[in-house]
Amino acid sequence: METTSNNVANTNTPGYTREVADVTPGDPVEIGSLSVGTGVVLQKIQSLRDPMLQIQINQATQQNSSLNASLTQLQQIQTQFASDTSGIGADISNFFSSLQQLSPDPSDLTLRQGVLTAATTLATDFNNAAQSLQTQRSNVDQNVVQSVTQVNSLTSQIASVDQQISNLQSIDQDPGTLVDTQNNLIQQLSALVGVQVIPTGQGITVATSNGTTLVSGSQSYALTTQADDGVQHIMAGTEDITSSLTGGSLAGLIQIRDQEIPGISSSLDQLAAGLSTNLNAANAQGFDLENPPVKGGNIFATPPAGGVGAATAMTVTMTDPSLLAASSDGTTGSNGNLANLSAVADQAVANGQTPIDAYSTLVGQVGSTTSNTSADADASNAILQQLQDQNGSVSGVSLDEEASNLIQYQSAYQAAARVVSTVNLLLLDAVNLGMDEAEE
Amino acid sequence: MRVNPNPMPDLMAALNQTELEEQQAELQISTGKSVNEPSDNPTAAALLIENNDQATFNSGYLQSISAVQGQLSTASSTLSSVTTALQQALSLGVEAAGGTLSASNQAAIANQLQGIQSQIVSLANTTYEGNYIFAGTKTSTAPYVVDSNLPDGVDYVGNTDVNEVSIGNGYKIAVNQPGSQLFSAPGNDVFLAINNLIQAVQTNTGIGTAVNAVSAASSYLSAQTVLYGNATDQTQSETTYLNAAQLQISQQQNTLGGANMAAAATNLSQAQTDNQAALAAISKLAQDNLFSYLT
Repeated sequence: METTSNNVANTNTPGYTREVADVTPGDPVEIGSLSVGTGVVLQKIQSLRDPMLQIQINQATQQNSSLNASLTQLQQIQTQFASDTSGIGADISNFFSSLQQLSPDPSDLTLRQGVLTAATTLATDFNNAAQSLQTQRSNVDQNVVQSVTQVNSLTSQIASVDQQISNLQSIDQDPGTLVDTQNNLIQQLSALVGVQVIPTGQGITVATSNGTTLVSGSQSYALTTQADDGVQHIMAGTEDITSSLTGGSLAGLIQIRDQEIPGISSSLDQLAAGLSTNLNAANAQGFDLENPPVKGGNIFATPPAGGVGAATAMTVTMTDPSLLAASSDGTTGSNGNLANLSAVADQAVANGQTPIDAYSTLVGQVGSTTSNTSADADASNAILQQLQDQNGSVSGVSLDEEASNLIQYQSAYQAAARVVSTVNLLLLDAVNLGMDEAEE
Repeated sequence: MRVNPNPMPDLMAALNQTELEEQQAELQISTGKSVNEPSDNPTAAALLIENNDQATFNSGYLQSISAVQGQLSTASSTLSSVTTALQQALSLGVEAAGGTLSASNQAAIANQLQGIQSQIVSLANTTYEGNYIFAGTKTSTAPYVVDSNLPDGVDYVGNTDVNEVSIGNGYKIAVNQPGSQLFSAPGNDVFLAINNLIQAVQTNTGIGTAVNAVSAASSYLSAQTVLYGNATDQTQSETTYLNAAQLQISQQQNTLGGANMAAAATNLSQAQTDNQAALAAISKLAQDNLFSYLT
């Protein structure tokens, strides 16, 4: 009954596995030629759990958390690339279209200003996109640091629970709920980082998938973070294990921080650098509106060498629309050089692709990464749910079952009570036997 | 087999799923788009950007065309006016060549011819939106300056460059003809012909030859009008093509990224039904277990 009430009380406790009382008949005693039972002995209270399933759940949790952490970030990233009628793609189209509109009347200052305005919008949108990727990256970086703190807190809890378990086991008692607590902690840890749990003679060893020991018996080893190259690296002692972590939200976050965002940023940088360089070069081939006309100067600031940070640094340095070199021969009416500027739209500026192709490819890539991750996360959710169902069928507390046990115990109690009262009556009769005769 | 006694996580997941479907259907209906994020359909998202690029270019071409058409029609009507003026000069020349006019009448005709000459100079210096359209690409200065010391009476200070404007992908047309190829083309120099005629009338010698020269120059100029006519025709047919292309692009945009409203509405009502079913299941759950029957 104690077990039942404990089960019922813990119906909704996360990680609790139902317990059953393990009872055996008492050793019989020999009375002459008879062997008489001595009732029931409560051996121990046993928690019902399937260790194999537990391992599978931990693994599924690691994969699931990793995918979901990536997905959340990717969904945030892709909002920047969501529109086909605004943003960098539309800005590129509008810029080249503004050059086109200048060509019938190349000396018109309003149309020239239109080109510079379109260029400024383009540069600003490159800046904004690069900036918000950078902001997101530093947010993810902070998440990584917080996750490491949580990992450390969990591993120290696991170690201290492990100590208590060993203490109980040393006096041959079932640690029951303590193991539940520990399993629950390991599952929480699995949501953060991929770990392997190895049972040893003295408690358990928890190690990351690359073999870094986090918990060994009652001893836990904290991970630290160390700034390197603008982001926090995860250190086990003096070893940098950042890139070797797999599974858990930590791996998902690191994947976003160190692979996805830098990849997208670098594509934007290449595109920004390619556009700036080629348009500046095209402008330098022609003449501006000045009297006497001079060769065109830079429209955009010269991108940084190698293009790193070009999207953030992209600015329109030309402020006077008359400096745009539309003319190929120095006359104000010539639009010959606009053809050279427009031709940049068809030049391979980034990754061997034209500006708009490079951008649309990037959008397609961001979209398919997100949609693949989303599909993987859905599948992994389903697997995890399935496993948890299975685990529930082994370890979950069923109120019906507990109620039926209770009824059983109640009847058994009533029967036992009846036996006692009958024996009591018989005994009373036996005791009173002489009395009655004496009275008579 | 023992079943999982706690179906709540499954039910919550189902509820979550139906709510997600509801949201997606609602988003499609409210935006009219099936591709609201690149992940909704990555290929379509990339194609939509290319599509928008072409649409932007096409509307740019259409704007260029309307700007170009203004210039072309101004140039064309200016050439017609010059031709008309030359016809007037011709009939005056023929009148003078008759040999029956008095000296004062001859002088009056010469005066009239000088008037026509300066009219043609001013026509050749026509501007469109502030630009001299017969100056080649030196559009900021008047291409013809009167200079009586020169045989044709004017000095061409424009250049011989021609501007081309794209009116379609890889489709360019010339939008100007320099005056040096229209009014002062070697062999068909309008100004030389008219100047010679004036002198012939003034001196009353060789008027016939001079008239013939004016006639030849006038025919040459009429022939050049065809260039503008052709260009105008090209812009008109390109406008028709571009408008059709724009229509096709917007249809494509709809096919790629537009929401199927009927399907979205069906999905929404389906998701709502599912959602209510999940809610009903959750609310019914846990009302009953064996404990309820224990007294």
